[in-house]
Amino acid sequence: MSERIVITGAGIVSAIGNNKQQCLESLKMGASGIGEVRFLDTEHHEFPVGEVKMSNLEMCNLLGISNKQVHSRTTLMGIIAVKEALTQARADSLYCPLTLISGTTVGGMDVTERYLSKSQDMTQEECVSCITTHTCGASTNAIAAYFGNTFNSTLTPSTACSSALNAITLGCDLIKAGLAQVVVAGGSECLSLFHLNGFKSLMILDTEPCKPFDNNRKGLNLGEGAAFVVLESEQHAAERGANVMATIAGYGNACDAFHQTASSPDGEGAFLAMSKALGDAQLAANDIDYINAHGTGTPNNDQSESAAIHRLFGDDMPPVSSTKSFTGHTTSASGAIETVISLLVLQEQFLPANLNWESSIEDDGIVPVRKATSASLHNVMCNSFGFGGNDSSLILSKYSE
Amino acid sequence: MDNLQDILKQQIIDALNLEEIEIGDIDNDAPLFGEGLGLDSIDALELIVLLERNYGIKIKDPALGKEIFKSVNVLYDYVSKNRTK
Amino acid sequence: MNWVRIRKDSIKINGTTLPTNHCGMEMLKEVYKQLIGGYPKFFKMDALCRLGFIASELLLQQESPRITDTERRAVILFNRSSSLCDDRSYQTTIQDTEKFFPSPAVFVYTLPNIVTGEISIRNKYYGETLFCVLDKFNANEIFQVVKESFLDSMTNDVITGWVDCESDDDFEASMILVGPNDPDFNPDFINEIYKHN
Repeated sequence: MSERIVITGAGIVSAIGNNKQQCLESLKMGASGIGEVRFLDTEHHEFPVGEVKMSNLEMCNLLGISNKQVHSRTTLMGIIAVKEALTQARADSLYCPLTLISGTTVGGMDVTERYLSKSQDMTQEECVSCITTHTCGASTNAIAAYFGNTFNSTLTPSTACSSALNAITLGCDLIKAGLAQVVVAGGSECLSLFHLNGFKSLMILDTEPCKPFDNNRKGLNLGEGAAFVVLESEQHAAERGANVMATIAGYGNACDAFHQTASSPDGEGAFLAMSKALGDAQLAANDIDYINAHGTGTPNNDQSESAAIHRLFGDDMPPVSSTKSFTGHTTSASGAIETVISLLVLQEQFLPANLNWESSIEDDGIVPVRKATSASLHNVMCNSFGFGGNDSSLILSKYSE
Repeated sequence: MDNLQDILKQQIIDALNLEEIEIGDIDNDAPLFGEGLGLDSIDALELIVLLERNYGIKIKDPALGKEIFKSVNVLYDYVSKNRTK
Repeated sequence: MNWVRIRKDSIKINGTTLPTNHCGMEMLKEVYKQLIGGYPKFFKMDALCRLGFIASELLLQQESPRITDTERRAVILFNRSSSLCDDRSYQTTIQDTEKFFPSPAVFVYTLPNIVTGEISIRNKYYGETLFCVLDKFNANEIFQVVKESFLDSMTNDVITGWVDCESDDDFEASMILVGPNDPDFNPDFINEIYKHN
């Protein structure tokens, strides 16, 4: 019998707030963080984005670090979220070294772009720090380095938009396998010209605020942010008197094996991932009280995910919403951002809205939650799917001893 | 190469890395997608970029791409009528 | 346990050299044409995916009968350079403001985990897929992540290894197919294959 894994701390920074409290208030008020681009230096103002409402300088000031060196926004946001998670978990009372698992794909691409851009004058020192900070793993190491000796190992899963959810499940596995005691897992991803133009070339960006699961949805809005959770065994948490926020009841990952980027019409990978998560949690479909869907707002994802949810839940479908209508699609960070949102929802016992929805997708459509509503929630499912057909699903449960 | 059909075929082969296909293998009326050359949605997007880069044709709706890329002849008609360079 | 080791100028399968006439990308194409074939998608892949694809094909050719269409096989790969090789190609499509044509076909490969997807699509594997970027080759970390992947009771075996591609002609891969109780599977074994000359 493997031990239960619990969450004892969480941190988040996203378009709807720089911490849990701010994000919670935005979710309850139905206030989206999606709007015209402010911080990313792009010509493409026609695409609304979910930017974190702080400049890099403001983040440096908040964290008390020098902006003389070049820092990736991925790193800065990651530090903010990890710090909040560690503070809540009272990590200063921990005597064991921690493991940091941070999912990302963009990594320090923003820094690479500064380096490549001829228009900016850079000092030699700045050039050097650009070159050394641009890889995915470097952003994880830079987040860890801010916390001194707190972390003794790091890992960077990179599975496209499901990276951060896989970071969390990888953390659970490490603890279950006895390879780590306390893991801080999640993900961080900033906007970059690189992927904004890439998603534009895939013609899946909406010029309006995204409308997940709506029949007239046109595409996604990119977002950015970071979120992390502190994971440990129930026993470890109890021994040190930590407050438990929720239990990780189960999770599953499956491959859609259909196309590099497109999801299969019947949502095979999504269906398998959700089924595996239920099996792992030893729960039945009707035990799930809410699904935080991947729901990007692209025609393909939402059709495929709807089909998968229909297959698994039939007519007995729990309330569903995509909070990407608040945060934008935070790509590799989205699995962690939405896990923390699911955690807040579970703690506060309410269903967050799926903004901008008007009409149901023809055939297999689902009717999502339209405004924040109080509800009695015990088990919450969070979906996160990535290109490469990498589909993951996680179930959080209300904690009871 | 003198005719636009063949030029288009060569550009498609180059843009989509159809390494084992030659101009002569592509029938002017055969479907490019599905059974034809086994092209997929990403290939369609790449052809949209090709039209903009080589012919100055901007396509905003990927669904229109499906119509235009029915066959080399359909593409030829569309390019002939709409090219700006 | 079957294994494959690919360097930019040589290929070994279970310790035996596969004779090839070329180096780098030309070597991968040569192997595709001589020993695989019938999968034109190969030519659309970026260098990292071609490398992973060839390694997995050579590995799976050792399996008899070859298992396909299963939820019980995971694909878990690692490297150091992420998708750097394709990132560079894509960057060239957005570097020049005068010739600014971001390529969708190149962009989709700027994700390192697409290689796990390509292998799964080819073989219809519906099991777990994972890609991790490490600071450098680290047999212990690879061993730990693979070992814990067997906590998923659905997983019978794992295609795992190191697939790193700096450029079209500078790459290396080592790949093995491992079951949960393979007695030889340990960090030393992973190291041995990686260092195999």
